[in-house]
Amino acid sequence: MKALAISMHEAWLATLMAGFMSKTTSKQKLFDFSDILFRHFTWIEAEMVMAKEPYDYNREAIPIKVEKLSVILHNIIQRLNQIDLQLAVVSPDLSHRITHDIQYITGVLAQLPDEEVTAFNTLRKLDNIELSSEATDALTLFLFEESYKEYELIMIYNYLKAHSDDAYINRIFQILVDESFFHLKSFGDMMAKMGILGVPRTIFKEMYQVEDIEAFFLAGIDEELAAKEECKKLSDAVATNSPQLAQFFDFINNQENYHISLMKDALAHWEKEKNV
Amino acid sequence: MTVDAQLIEHMMEPKNYGTLENSNSEGLGKNPENGEKVIVYLQVMEEEGESVIEDISFQAIGCSTTIVAGSMITQEARGLSFKGATNLITATMKILDKVPPEDAACSEMVALALKASLETYRLRQEESDHPSVTYQITNDCTPKEEGNQ
Repeated sequence: MKALAISMHEAWLATLMAGFMSKTTSKQKLFDFSDILFRHFTWIEAEMVMAKEPYDYNREAIPIKVEKLSVILHNIIQRLNQIDLQLAVVSPDLSHRITHDIQYITGVLAQLPDEEVTAFNTLRKLDNIELSSEATDALTLFLFEESYKEYELIMIYNYLKAHSDDAYINRIFQILVDESFFHLKSFGDMMAKMGILGVPRTIFKEMYQVEDIEAFFLAGIDEELAAKEECKKLSDAVATNSPQLAQFFDFINNQENYHISLMKDALAHWEKEKNV
Repeated sequence: MTVDAQLIEHMMEPKNYGTLENSNSEGLGKNPENGEKVIVYLQVMEEEGESVIEDISFQAIGCSTTIVAGSMITQEARGLSFKGATNLITATMKILDKVPPEDAACSEMVALALKASLETYRLRQEESDHPSVTYQITNDCTPKEEGNQ
């Protein structure tokens, strides 16, 4: 099952990246399909947890630099067809679900219109927004740093959720996963527009195979505070050139407040349960 | 950090990132202040009496600067003899005082991880299950506030 999970992890990310590359109505379809593939990944993971099969989130590098969208779509179809051949290792119901999804998704992907891809041209220009070179550099560094961070958070909360039976904490983990998905999609879209799209790197095992959950929550709260500070700095850096972009980063900054509140809530719940 | 084309290239597609399946040595560079660390994995071959880095990869808990430094230094190190790799580490350490402290800390962490990995390999020639060597950085990663230097 581990090999299947890795293949699904890679297919999910490849499809998400294709969504960032698209500038047409195909974008939403690709995002929807990537969401479905992520859910497949979590369902395979749940079966691995139940079977007590050891696994991690290591995967191969995913080459995405293409000039035409059709090239990556073809690559995703190949990935999905390979996954279809590996499904015997999961339960019949899950296998049935995934195989039918793959059949439909590959059919749609094959019909999507081709597009020129500009997500790798490194021009670092955003539509209708003129930024100074200092603001452009600050935005570039922020996007690389934070897109990875959001991917990392998705995987950490997902792993913790997969290994917890606590409904209260799992509700919080799910909110944080959903929130990080929105941030990742926002930042990834911006990176593609600026021509600097890249796949987030793989994550160190010890980041998600957490041994001390209390220390993890405390560090997480500090990280959210640091992220707020980065959003504030970036908002200030781009405010002169683009109040609209500054507003977007203030909006993201404000969202972090609720994440901090949720993590404090989770920490308090954890401590209470521990003392029962 | 000055953002140029080469740096963007390394951020978009870091070279040699990840674990190395056939590695026979690994070493760590750590920042004791904030828990950031780099692991460098090596696949070393003995060629004509010399130890040579056949393959190399790295993983990091760290910022984009660390990733860029890891990508660049591992590219340089691939194919080098241990003597060449030691020269690369020395050259990297020499230029650290010319870059901002937070960037220096990241590059130092990678250079020390490579040094630790070379050392692990040497030690494993005498004791095959010798644990990985770890070095700690001396540069401070905390950026200085303007007017507070």
